Amino acid sequence: MTRHLLRLIWNRKRQNFLLTVEIFFAFLTLFGVVLFAVHYANNARQPLGFTVDRQWSISVDRKEPDQDPAVKSRHRETYRQLLIALREMPEIEVVAGAFTGPYANSNWGSSVQLPGGHEIDHGVNSVTDDYLELFHIPLVAGRWFSREDDGAAWKPVVLNRRLAREIFGDGNPVGQIVKEERNPNLPPADSNEKPEVKRVIGVVEDFRQNGELSTAGNYLFYRMTLDDAEPKAGLPDRLFVRLRPGTPAAFEEALVKRAMAVATAWSFEVQTLDGMRQDKLRQYELPLAAVGTIAAFLLLMVALGLTGVVWQSVTLRIREFGLRRAKGATIANVRTQVLVEMIIMTSIALAAGLLLVAQLPLLPLPRDLRVVPGAVFLASIAIAVAAIYLLTLGCGWYPSRLATKIQPAEALHYE
Amino acid sequence: MLKHYLTLALKVLWRRRFFTFISLFGISFTLLVLTVVAALFENAFGPGAPEPRLNRTLFVDRAVMYGPHSTWSSSGGFKLFDKYARNLPGVERLSLYEDERTVQSFLEGRKIKSLLKRTDDEFWRILGFTFLEGGPFGTDDVSQARFVAVINATTRQRFFDGRQALGQALDADGQRFRVVGVVEDVSELRGAPFADIWVPYTTAKTDAYRREVMGDWHAMALARDKPAMPAIHDEFNSRLLRVELPDPKSYQAIVAPFETKFQGFARNMPTGDRKDPESQVSKVIGGLVALGLLFVLIPTVNLVNINISRIMERASEIGVRKAFGASARTLVGQFLIENILLTLVGGLIGFALSVLALHGLRRSGIVSYAQLTVNLRVFGWGVLLATAFGLISGVYPAWRMSRLNPVDALKGGVSR
Repeated sequence: MTRHLLRLIWNRKRQNFLLTVEIFFAFLTLFGVVLFAVHYANNARQPLGFTVDRQWSISVDRKEPDQDPAVKSRHRETYRQLLIALREMPEIEVVAGAFTGPYANSNWGSSVQLPGGHEIDHGVNSVTDDYLELFHIPLVAGRWFSREDDGAAWKPVVLNRRLAREIFGDGNPVGQIVKEERNPNLPPADSNEKPEVKRVIGVVEDFRQNGELSTAGNYLFYRMTLDDAEPKAGLPDRLFVRLRPGTPAAFEEALVKRAMAVATAWSFEVQTLDGMRQDKLRQYELPLAAVGTIAAFLLLMVALGLTGVVWQSVTLRIREFGLRRAKGATIANVRTQVLVEMIIMTSIALAAGLLLVAQLPLLPLPRDLRVVPGAVFLASIAIAVAAIYLLTLGCGWYPSRLATKIQPAEALHYE
Repeated sequence: MLKHYLTLALKVLWRRRFFTFISLFGISFTLLVLTVVAALFENAFGPGAPEPRLNRTLFVDRAVMYGPHSTWSSSGGFKLFDKYARNLPGVERLSLYEDERTVQSFLEGRKIKSLLKRTDDEFWRILGFTFLEGGPFGTDDVSQARFVAVINATTRQRFFDGRQALGQALDADGQRFRVVGVVEDVSELRGAPFADIWVPYTTAKTDAYRREVMGDWHAMALARDKPAMPAIHDEFNSRLLRVELPDPKSYQAIVAPFETKFQGFARNMPTGDRKDPESQVSKVIGGLVALGLLFVLIPTVNLVNINISRIMERASEIGVRKAFGASARTLVGQFLIENILLTLVGGLIGFALSVLALHGLRRSGIVSYAQLTVNLRVFGWGVLLATAFGLISGVYPAWRMSRLNPVDALKGGVSR
């Protein structure tokens, strides 16, 4: 039966070729969009690692670079006074300083060089002790930064669960030292510069800085202090505050005025975390919405086109179907014939499409384009294949009914 | 005769409404997408207010310092341009400007966010802003660090309810400026001229920016004429070899070429190589053309499929016409008219949809102060393309069929 249908398809190869080409491109388009959508949907299900409620972010522009130790020490003092001044305000519950934070547009990345040449990339942030409480970050094991870490001989770090597993496998990471090799690509170290030793003091669930739709990755926290004993440590680029419930938005003016009174030469930009969250989500959703709308219209066009073409070819073949029915084929037989022909052509197009799509993971893509997990990739292929079959069968359904509506006797001399 | 063809074509198109609808939908939707993309590009890279001399303006949009293990990519610093880009041969005017920054003002308890750009007096001479009130700040305002500001119409609306703003005081980022000019809004897509408030760069709170090689600054040079442009590019590149780099242990070279706006855009695409001082345009154009072709492919195959089906269906009609003495020429003429009519109607619908979509995009505020208009050239090319494919797929099979023996044509062709 299938062989016979293949021959029928082959006999009409010119028209069927164009149909197959159309299905092929429809599949590629659909796969691209589905891959995006599934990837984001999968991201949205992962734990976020912090909670947004009543926090504000204050970006600080210090106007002067602090490579110069004297400038840096002056800035550090200004920060100390700034934190004291903000903590005194009755509307503010918690204040913390950090290099960056949730939904902020600055990211800091680094890597850990494990012995044996294995390099693990991770996001980094440097934060003060109040950061955990301010963002309600769930701690999984160990403890968070505190005064206990003052003057420690090592650099205390807190990892997210994913990074802890990458470095230590299933072992308990708390209290462990991260064994690192020197990166062979770096120039030889200064002899008077002592190597930095990282000791894990705690593990958090996760901290997906770029929010709900971002891809889960490795993350590491350093402790940030405004202590003169550590002159090399970086200063905060942002301050975060959590407000008491019921504080009005107009408090912002008072907040900025207070900050400017302490740091006269600096600039401050206040944003609510909730607003930043919406901006960030929009950054992800806008391109997806634009591409999705265009793809939806393209697919609608393909669906209409396929329906038209199949309808047309069925109308032309009504005499052929009439002959089959006169020779004893049932209505179901003829309908199946139309649909199976459709399935065969779709399968040929999909086989070509899959062959092309399967090359994607083999391509030498840049690192940030390789973040899609294998399961998401396979799921997207499955969804796109199923959707294309549904689409083409849907387009064949009405014409297949049409093919059998006419009595065989009439069909035989149908014009 | 033409009138007869037109009536016939309309009758035929109306009889096969479903097919006509699919063709029109495909043509108009494809034109819509092409037109919107072209309008965005035109607004970003085409000459027009306030960039009338864009074709001989060069920019340094990004600087990259690199060494064997580290790369630092950001905008250039004030010192980089102030020290090395002055007096380039062939440059008529040079302006330095900072990235626009969000600044906040509080007006009767209301918070107003604006984008503030610090720049110099040459900025106004290279660009051609339309002033609604007053004028630009001048050389003295910059050298004496006067707190004066030029604002756009939207800022005037926000701060002064649209009433006259000239001479009024405006607080931004804790500083008080006097408004000396009001200009028309400038689209965000234009980059260099875009901001809400422009002030002299010397009003910055500290002068730390003067010592930075890497920072938030851009340079814009107006070349004397087009032939002078390559020399400007080369001369600045050779001067960059002498730049004293910060942290010379990590960084050995800096790349910050003077380029046209589109070249700068190409450099910042993921395909661009920022360390290569030469133009990246050909790669990006190749990529854009490939993407465009991929997008046009589906509607084209669809149009061809539909057209072929439509002709197949009318094999018997062709047979009858031939049997009654119609020549192949007459028949081809008929199908030609029919297809052109279809494409033109699709084009008209596409044009109307584009105008609506661009209007909606402007209203949505996704792009601040966007000036989006239908680019007639791109639209024309789209219509031409649709006509070409319509003719190839609609007229060629009809022509072949018209040369058949009437008896075969009546049967629906001999090919099967």
